Amino acid sequence: MHLQALAELLLAGIMRGGIYALMAVGLSLVFGVMNVPQFAHGEFYMLGAYVAYFAFKALGWNPLLAIALAGLAGFAAGALIEKAVFSPLHRRVREHWVLNSFLVTVGLSFVMQNGAQVIWGGNYYGITSYWKTPVRFVTTMGISLDRAMSLAIAAVVIFAFMIFLRSTRIGRAIRAVSQDETGAMLVGIDLDRIRNLTFGLSGMLAATAGASLLSMVPAHPTMGLEPLYKSWYVVILGGLGSVGAAIPAGLIVGTLETFSYYFLGAAWQNVISLSLMILMLLLKPNGIFGSEVKGIWER
Amino acid sequence: MPTWEANTPHKAHTISASQRRVLEVENLCAGYGPLQVLWDVSLHVASGEFVALMGPNGAGKTTVLRAIIGLVWPMSGTIHLHGESAVGLKTNRLTRQGVGFVAEDSSLFLGMSVHENLVLGAYGERDRRQIIRRLESVYELFPTLKARSKQLAGTLSGGEQKMLGIGRCFMAGPLLLLVDEPSLGLAPKLVDQVMTALKNLNRQGVAILLADQHVKRSLNLASRSYVLEQGRVALEGGSGDLLENDYVKKSYLGLL
Repeated sequence: MHLQALAELLLAGIMRGGIYALMAVGLSLVFGVMNVPQFAHGEFYMLGAYVAYFAFKALGWNPLLAIALAGLAGFAAGALIEKAVFSPLHRRVREHWVLNSFLVTVGLSFVMQNGAQVIWGGNYYGITSYWKTPVRFVTTMGISLDRAMSLAIAAVVIFAFMIFLRSTRIGRAIRAVSQDETGAMLVGIDLDRIRNLTFGLSGMLAATAGASLLSMVPAHPTMGLEPLYKSWYVVILGGLGSVGAAIPAGLIVGTLETFSYYFLGAAWQNVISLSLMILMLLLKPNGIFGSEVKGIWER
Repeated sequence: MPTWEANTPHKAHTISASQRRVLEVENLCAGYGPLQVLWDVSLHVASGEFVALMGPNGAGKTTVLRAIIGLVWPMSGTIHLHGESAVGLKTNRLTRQGVGFVAEDSSLFLGMSVHENLVLGAYGERDRRQIIRRLESVYELFPTLKARSKQLAGTLSGGEQKMLGIGRCFMAGPLLLLVDEPSLGLAPKLVDQVMTALKNLNRQGVAILLADQHVKRSLNLASRSYVLEQGRVALEGGSGDLLENDYVKKSYLGLL
């Protein structure tokens, strides 16, 4: 196979994988810190797309500003929902937290999807492109600037988020809660506030992803399903609850899908990802990078 | 308390007893769900005191400490910290009010380094210089921790983990330290190190309530002690007196 074709496939894979990584980081965060298997994650992606559409199209904002607003909306929605739904749930549920919270997220997903349908109808709200020069040629490959920017945005956001987790006081507190809740309480961390912040951040990350891909995937109520199960592939592959592992895992899944698409055809990309996920759950359920998950960052 | 009273030392006796006491527990009944473990437990710790809570395994010593720090909710009775009621307050708030708890398993962040655990200990402290000063104190108190500051807490030995647990509590600048069985599972030499560290902390003004099964050692460290048996306070008094007490001698010291 041509080296050039290989390079182009790799590049396409990374661009796809970057967004997967962004989604997966948010998912890992919620699962690792709050022990909630988030199955409404795709709906925050959807929310981001809608908000970005209206900011960009209706208000005429600069694309980066529109995407930033979408991120903020995702954060606000996440924080509000956590306060209204998950915080009271946590107080009431003594047993089977994982199963109960999972069911709640499924319900949340229905509510959000149908809510979007009620408010905005089943129409597709799309844009041709965010940026004026739509296509750039890298070697012989045409890459839409929007796609390249989505990778750049994903990279910057993930990088900033990692620095936040690693080096700031609150980031450290989030990691602490994911490792030992009692210990976190004993050093003075307010668990309720941290959980609320975590859910908000996860919503923000998903919404940013949805917003940056608006020209490729128009906003519509059911758009969250695919990003949701893609995120879960990545998280299972990388290791449940590890934020760090979500990044390389996202890139791997993105690249794998691109190669499957190229060599086997569009229908096969999901088959490959799913098969890998099944194998992973059977043989190495802790994921490629997981040994024993000790919190969202540490191994 | 009016300021003029504070400036006249000969008036010290007029300060109410509850204000001199860092911890006041009265008629505490507590347990786990339907199982009651503590029955009418009363004890107090004065500012800067070293008090031991002794008794056999299962007597309820851990439950007492956990009730004070808010990890167990009392069924009845009162707990006062610096004269203010502490019942029903969240653990993280109590920590911020100057009570530290070193659990039996230390509740360390095993995936983080020694240094990060210590820094997190000072989570509630806003003054950066204070944090640095306390960090230096901890490293002085526990030189082994300084040597292993970049090491993951999960890879430390049992003794080092206990020391890290105490050190992490100290980072918050507590006025009262609740220590739960620090000597369990430790080699004698390490036990000495831990106890010396606690003695040093006490000399610096930190009041200590130490739960320990080892009666002789506790009585040598603490100025005052309580003996807890089956969830009730069986004995209390100055350590000197208890060492001479016949019941203590027979049941716990193997004499008589």
